[in-house]
Amino acid sequence: AGTGGVPRAQPRHLCPFPAVTSEQIEHLHRRFKQLSQDQLTIRKENFDSIPDLEFNPIRGKIVHAFFDKRNLRQESDGLADEINFEDFLTIMSYFRPIEMNMDEEQLDRFRKEKLKFLFHMYDSDHDGKITLQEYRNVVEELLSGNPHLEKESARSIADGAMMEAASICVGQMGPDQVYEGITFEDFLKMWQGIDIETKMHVRFLNVDTIAHCY
Amino acid sequence: MEVVWAVGQVGAVWLAVVLGLIVLPSALGISLGISEAYMRVLVKTLEWATIRLQKGAKKPQPQVPRTPTANGIIERDETPMEKEIALLHRADFEFSHIFYFCRKGFEAIVEDEVTQRFSSEELLSWNLLTRTNVNFHYISLRLTVVWVIGVIVRYCFLLPLRFTLAAIGITSMIVGTTVVGQLPNGSVKNYLSEVVHLTCSRILVRALSGTIHYHNKENRPQKGGICVANHTSPIDAIILTNDGCYAMVGQVHGGLMGVIQRATVKACPHVWFERSEIKDRHLVTKRLREHVADKSKLPILIFPEGTCINNTSVMMFKKGSFEIGGTIYPVAIKYDPQFGDAFWNSSKYNIVSYLLRIMTSWAIVCNVWYLPPMVRKEDEDAVKFANRVRSAIARQGGLTELPWDGGLKRAKVKDTFKEEQQKNYSKMLVRNGSVG
Repeated sequence: AGTGGVPRAQPRHLCPFPAVTSEQIEHLHRRFKQLSQDQLTIRKENFDSIPDLEFNPIRGKIVHAFFDKRNLRQESDGLADEINFEDFLTIMSYFRPIEMNMDEEQLDRFRKEKLKFLFHMYDSDHDGKITLQEYRNVVEELLSGNPHLEKESARSIADGAMMEAASICVGQMGPDQVYEGITFEDFLKMWQGIDIETKMHVRFLNVDTIAHCY
Repeated sequence: MEVVWAVGQVGAVWLAVVLGLIVLPSALGISLGISEAYMRVLVKTLEWATIRLQKGAKKPQPQVPRTPTANGIIERDETPMEKEIALLHRADFEFSHIFYFCRKGFEAIVEDEVTQRFSSEELLSWNLLTRTNVNFHYISLRLTVVWVIGVIVRYCFLLPLRFTLAAIGITSMIVGTTVVGQLPNGSVKNYLSEVVHLTCSRILVRALSGTIHYHNKENRPQKGGICVANHTSPIDAIILTNDGCYAMVGQVHGGLMGVIQRATVKACPHVWFERSEIKDRHLVTKRLREHVADKSKLPILIFPEGTCINNTSVMMFKKGSFEIGGTIYPVAIKYDPQFGDAFWNSSKYNIVSYLLRIMTSWAIVCNVWYLPPMVRKEDEDAVKFANRVRSAIARQGGLTELPWDGGLKRAKVKDTFKEEQQKNYSKMLVRNGSVG
C-alpha cells in the first residue's frame, strides 16, 4: 500500500519545531523509500543514487551530517551506521522554513539549531571547537575538483578567515596568545545580525490535493 | 455436451461481433463511433467522481489551481550561484558558500529532477483506478460503488475484449506479412505491405482503446527521411504506425517479438540489428545511411532518448541518430495520464505486467504533433543539432527539457559532467578575487 508504515503521530523530537503537515511527511516518506529502496533504514551508500548531489563539493559533509549522532539528538557521540525514517525527518527538520506564528523565544531557538547544525559540519572531530585544520579541510573540500587551484590558496583563505574570527571573538590578542578554535558561542557571535533563517530552508510547495475539473 | 455447444455458440457470436464491429472497419480505415461514445461516457464519469472528491474533502479548498507536480514539490530558488553567494558575502566567504551548497544538497536529497522522471506522473485527481489511489482515501459510498463497477467493467469486459483484439492483430500481422513477403519485389508488394501494416496497427490501437489526435498532418514524415520522437513506452511505435508506414529500427529479440520481426522484415525493409552489431556504431550508422540514401524506402523511426521516460520531460538525445544525415522529421507524443498511464517503468514492471496494466486502464489518450522537418546546418555539430530538435519537441509537447542522459536510470553520473560543474564553481571563486 502506498501509505503503509507512515508514522501518523509526530515523533517526539519534532515537537520544539513548528508542525510539519502530514502531506509533507508523506512526500518525505516516499522519498525515503525511494532512497532506501524499500528498506527500513538508509546507509551512506544510498545517497550515491542522487545525480544532483554528485556536483556538490561538500557532498561528503552533507551526507555525513545525516549520520552524525549530535544532529540526531541522541545523547551519544560519533556516527550512526544507518538511520530510519524518524532520524531522516529529524535531520530534514533543520531545514524547516520559519512559520509566521513563532514568538521571539522560538525564533531564537530555531536559529540556534540551524547554526548548530552548520557548526557540526565544520567540527569534524566532535570536540566542540573548529580548529584551523578543520577549517582548512572545509575550504579544501569546497575548492576540490579544480586542479588549477593549489593547496596554498586554500590555506591562505582558511588562515585569513580564522584570523578574522579571532579578532571578532577575542579582540586583540597578545603575541603569546594562541587562538585555539572557534567555539559555538564564538560561532554565534560571528553570525549575529546576519539573516540565515531565510537562506537555510527548503520550502515545500502547497501540495493540497485539490480536485481538478475538466 | 450441451454446455460445450452453448459455449461454442457464444464464442462464435463474440468473434463475429468483434470482427464485424472492429476488425473490418480497421481494415477499411473507417470508424463506427463506438470508441467516441465510450470516451464520452468515461469523461462524464470521471468528472462526476472529481466533483464528489471535492465535496468530500474535509477542508475548504481554495480555488487556486495546484502547481503542476511535473515541476516538483519544493520551491527552488533559481538565483544563479554567483548572485546568491554575493548576497551573503563577507570576508569569510566560505561560510556563505557553505550555506549555498548545503541548501542545494538538501534540495537534491528531498527531490532530484532526474529520479522523479523515472516514476509515473502524479495525478491531480483520482481517476478511479486502484493503482493511482495513493493520496486519495475513502470518500463516500457512491464513489466506492462506481469504482467497483469500474473494476468489473475493466477486468471482466474490457480486458478479454482487448486481449482478443491484440491476439487477432498480432496474428494477422504475422500471417499477413509472411504472405506478402512471398510476392516479388515491386510496387504491388509495397502497397500490400502498407495495407497490412496499417490494418494491424489500427487493430492494435483499438486493442488498447487508444484515442489519438494527430496534429499538423501536412508535416508527416516523407520517404527517405528520419522520424524522431520522444520515448515513453513500447506502444509509441504502434501509435505512430497507426497513421503512416515506417521502417522500424531495433535490436533482434527472441520469443514472440522475434517472430514478428522476422515476419515483417520479409514484407517491408525494417532494419533489425543483431546484438553484436549494435555495439559497432560505425556499422549501425553505415546501414542507416544506406537506408536513408534510398529515396524509395520508408522513413525510419528512431527514439533517440534510448530509454522510456515518464512523459513529463525530454532527456538527452543521443547524437548517433543525428549523424546519419538526411532530413529529420520530429514528432512530439504527449499522453494524457488521466485515462491510463502509458509509461513503462522497466525497473519496476516487466513487459507482461506492463501490458496487463495498459489493458486494464480506461484508455490510452494521446496527442501527436508532427513538426516541420529540420536539417543540420553547416556549422552545427551533431550534439547541437540534437539539442535543437529536442527543444522543438519539448516546446510543442509541453514537456520540460533536461540535459540529463536517460542512461542515468541505471548508471551513475559521468565524471566529465561532474568536473564541468566543479570547474564552473572554481572559476567563479577566482574571478571574485577571493583566492590568492
